[in-house]
Amino acid sequence: MPRAHVDPDRLRRDLESLLGARRVSMREGDLDTYARDMWPRLLLARRDGRPPDHLPFAVVWPEHPRELVALVKLARALRVPIIPYGGGSGVCGGVVPVHGGITVDLKRMTAIRAVSRDELVVDVEAGVNGERFERELRRRGYTFGNFPSSIYCSTVGGWLATRAAGQLSTKYGKVEDRVAGLTVVTGRGELVETDGPSRAMHGPDWTQLLLGSEGTLGIIASARLRLAPAPQLEVYRGFEVDSVAQGCEAIRRVLQRGLRPAVVRLYDEFDTFINSLGKRAPTGDAAAHGAPRGATPGYGAPHDDGLAPLPAPGEGALPVLPRPDPAASDGGGDDDGVIGKLLALARGKKRGLRQEAIGLALGNARLLNRVADRVARRGCRMVIGLEGSRIRTEVEAALVFAELAHAGARDTGEVAGRAWLAHRYAVSYRMSPTFRDGAFVDTMEVASTWERLQDLYHSVREAIGRHAVVMAHFSHAYPDGCSIYFTFAAHGDDLAEARRLYDAIWRDGLEAATRVGGTISHHHGVGLLKAPYMTGEHREAMSVLHALKRSLDPDDIMNPGKLGLGAPRAADAAAKGGRA
Amino acid sequence: MPAEAFTRELAARVGDANVQTLPVAAGDPPAWQVSPGAAAEVAEIVRLCDRDGVAVLPVGSGARPTRWRSAVGRQRVHVALRRMDHVVHLDETSLLVHVQAGLTGAGLEKVLAPRGLSIGDYPATMLGSTIGGMIAVRTPGKSSVRHGFLEDAVLGVSAVLADGRTIHTRVAPRRSTGPDLSRALCGSEGTLGVITSVVLRIHRRAESRLVAAFRLPTCDAALAAAHLSLREEVKPAGLRIYDAAEARAHLGAELQQTGVTLDDGAALLLVATAGPTDLAVCDRDIVASAVLAEGGEAVDTRLGEAWWKLRGGDPREVPPPSFQVTVTPSRQRAVYHAVGGAARAVGAVSRAHVSRFDADGAVLFFTLVTPGPGGRPLDGARLEEARAACEEAARGAGGWLLGSRSVQFDPYLAALRAALDPRGIMNPGALV
Ligand SMILES: Cc1cc2nc3c(=O)[nH]c(=O)nc-3n(C[C@H](O)[C@H](O)[C@H](O)COP(=O)(O)OP(=O)(O)OC[C@H]3O[C@@H](n4cnc5c(N)ncnc54)[C@H](O)[C@@H]3O)c2cc1C
Ligand SMILES: Cc1cc2nc3c(=O)[nH]c(=O)nc-3n(C[C@H](O)[C@H](O)[C@H](O)COP(=O)(O)OP(=O)(O)OC[C@H]3O[C@@H](n4cnc5c(N)ncnc54)[C@H](O)[C@@H]3O)c2cc1C
Repeated sequence: MPRAHVDPDRLRRDLESLLGARRVSMREGDLDTYARDMWPRLLLARRDGRPPDHLPFAVVWPEHPRELVALVKLARALRVPIIPYGGGSGVCGGVVPVHGGITVDLKRMTAIRAVSRDELVVDVEAGVNGERFERELRRRGYTFGNFPSSIYCSTVGGWLATRAAGQLSTKYGKVEDRVAGLTVVTGRGELVETDGPSRAMHGPDWTQLLLGSEGTLGIIASARLRLAPAPQLEVYRGFEVDSVAQGCEAIRRVLQRGLRPAVVRLYDEFDTFINSLGKRAPTGDAAAHGAPRGATPGYGAPHDDGLAPLPAPGEGALPVLPRPDPAASDGGGDDDGVIGKLLALARGKKRGLRQEAIGLALGNARLLNRVADRVARRGCRMVIGLEGSRIRTEVEAALVFAELAHAGARDTGEVAGRAWLAHRYAVSYRMSPTFRDGAFVDTMEVASTWERLQDLYHSVREAIGRHAVVMAHFSHAYPDGCSIYFTFAAHGDDLAEARRLYDAIWRDGLEAATRVGGTISHHHGVGLLKAPYMTGEHREAMSVLHALKRSLDPDDIMNPGKLGLGAPRAADAAAKGGRA
Repeated sequence: MPAEAFTRELAARVGDANVQTLPVAAGDPPAWQVSPGAAAEVAEIVRLCDRDGVAVLPVGSGARPTRWRSAVGRQRVHVALRRMDHVVHLDETSLLVHVQAGLTGAGLEKVLAPRGLSIGDYPATMLGSTIGGMIAVRTPGKSSVRHGFLEDAVLGVSAVLADGRTIHTRVAPRRSTGPDLSRALCGSEGTLGVITSVVLRIHRRAESRLVAAFRLPTCDAALAAAHLSLREEVKPAGLRIYDAAEARAHLGAELQQTGVTLDDGAALLLVATAGPTDLAVCDRDIVASAVLAEGGEAVDTRLGEAWWKLRGGDPREVPPPSFQVTVTPSRQRAVYHAVGGAARAVGAVSRAHVSRFDADGAVLFFTLVTPGPGGRPLDGARLEEARAACEEAARGAGGWLLGSRSVQFDPYLAALRAALDPRGIMNPGALV
């Protein structure tokens, strides 16, 4: 067990002797900033003006793997935790220093090195910002293919540490599918490299044992990642189906024929309904957004450089992206919004009024969900996109669209598909207004095989719906199953009430997912949020995780208390046990 | 415990018929082979062995007996999985099969084929192994351009750990709940647990399958054409390049039949594409244009068909390759020529085929033969000498020899084993 306290003067001296004074901070403001990520439960307390429960002892900015080694060695000697920190965009409290420690911000390690023209791989350091990474690759004619909604505020290392998923995962896979090797500083303070062309190697695949370890086994210093040539063609299309079940069936058929669209999204009835609010017409003006540049209708050259516009400066820590024009289509970007969407329900001008409306709506979650059930029988919206080499993508798109039509999906045109593309990052960045208005919002991404997917959808929706307004979309589809992304919003009168509600939603939602054989996380990771549910997820197999921990981090200094490896905190136990 | 008593204990768990005492050299500790019929029996056996510190050696099809010897010096139980050969559950909705570890790949294909399903387009040589053995040993021969690496098809693993506990990694298409724990068992060669069953992704049989054969002026050109095609995202069911000498050795009769001639420096590129018809055609045409761009041309398709038929194992007994090297794309030409040069320097000739293309590269299979027409494979001391020189050259040019191990991770593997198996009973001779 790590030590709870260290002599701050000694720690400062030791750290400064490794990195110099400029790259070590023990200033209050810095410690406060690095005490959290984007976990909404932390934001609740933040809104209430509470100081963080846990602060790091120090924040450091290493620039070289050699410095990472020195830091871990020092931490081992002092028995002080190390908390790797990427963009801090995690939504599960993964970077919270529950036992204090040295927070290691990797954002100064940003080298991107091409390996060779013939190899579809790149060597990249962990601290590179996701958007910059992809932009650099595009300039050279490649793509990594990982486009999380958080691409502007997350790092490559954070992706690898959490097994992140991008919006085009159906074609490119999740990040763990695209890693040829990792360079890691383990909890023993050694710099190790996992396999080259790994299948020449005997023994377990260490790459896969380190991916997703969320800083609990070591610090990822750099990675060799697999690339694809930048797409020559993008094809997007909207579809509509009668029900979630019909939509899922259509998607399953497409994927099991061996076809690989880049993105497949199916919005449930409520999500579709909320999305349609405030629109003039389903098509129409939306054409203004992301209009195709290619000549053939339905086909277009990749838009711009394949990336969303840069955020405007001076908008705070998070970039504020262009808001969807409410008169046109908001395209329903990912996690979009309860923020945009539910607020549409209570679109009052004055803040007080709006707050009241939200309180009212969200305070009656069950009722609202039931009303939604009734009004929303208008079918479900789907977005399908393909990208890749020109000829092959064209052929594949024709096959995909034909298969969907065969499964009863109605083509709603290219505009409907392109609108999503244009706004795909204009997402969860609008969290703060919701929080300002006294409500909270979060997302739960579960997954299962196709066989269990409808069960998973209904069970989790019912479980969350007991406490919150809930909508869902299906995305990240694979031949064997799919992920479901629930967005929920609720309102608590005070911090205690909001937390109680928040914890109950997660407890009921995740337990429902486990009960029907789904996984508790498709891509956000575990952190503190899901730590209490790890035993339910893995059961006896947790012994393998514990063994890995003992092997790579014998002194338990790497991000202790996470991934369900440490003793659960009192708060977690309470969250799980405490029934409302 | 005396051997007889231990035999009785084993028999009490799996039945007399399924326990066999193995012959051992005089003075060596006794050894048994047991064939459990269920995961619960495996657990009981392992628990028994753990109690008495007896080594446990999982056995699949038994293709790798060399490994067993290293455990001599200690009492040991060979746990043969061959009776555990049932398909537990076939989920045709999700295209998954839950299968016991002792079923062979071929056995599984027999269950799947009548339903229009298949393990997929992996090298056919893999199918003789048991499912457990296949995933317990990581080799470059278990990948497919179309489906990826075999481990990527593993959704869940059930295994008995050294303390007799059974673990089931949970099944989901993807997850972010820590490291992929099933990957600890994949490639562990029986050192971390006995794999009792596996949940595997399967595939619908391809709607169309097309084969094509091409001749290219050089092996370099053939490699370039292959990589060009793969960059265009072609997903072939099979892809192989032969240099001229290797083509004559493997497909001599077919070359003659079809009248296809090959100059000495030339190469043959064979491809099978599969999928919905339009896509299979598209992929084949992309390969054809890549070949054209590299100065090659299409030749008689029958050559391709013959290759596709033979790929499961050649009844005409082509000698096994002298050695194989995994090479990433940018190094393949260099390795090919380096080995050629090294062979010449010791008075031998190397010929090669390139296969097992995957996301990381491909495998170059080299056979060392005597110079002159109709070169015969080297053997004995000459082979050893030439192979040593050629392997050295291959490594120098950036290739990875089969069976390399990341030495850096040895202490970590040892610690992992110690944590899961404090008495060191699980396949003690393997992976050291
Ligand atoms: C608006 C928004 C949208 C999002 N959309 C998506 C999405 O579409 N898909 C998705 O997958 N996620 C999404 N997320 C979640 C989050 O962005 C991802 O989890 C991301 O991978 C975290 O990266 P980061 O660099 O911010 O990591 P951090 O939050 O800094 O860290 C996350 C965890 O990884 C560890 N870690 C970070 N870097 C390293 C390293 N180099 N070595 C070892 N451990 C390390 C940390 O200790 C922590 O446990 C979203 C988050 C937000 C706020
Ligand atoms: C010299 C040689 C070279 C080979 N090269 C290649 C190659 O390049 N490519 C290729 O694809 N194949 C190769 N193989 C074959 C390889 O052994 C098989 O691919 C396969 O892994 C073995 O399956 P099996 O059922 O025969 O298992 P066995 O040969 O019986 O066992 C192989 C290993 O796996 C362990 N094992 C078996 N079953 C289990 C289980 N259920 N749980 C835990 N551990 C288990 C055994 O203890 C042993 O260590 C080679 C084999 C040999 C002998």
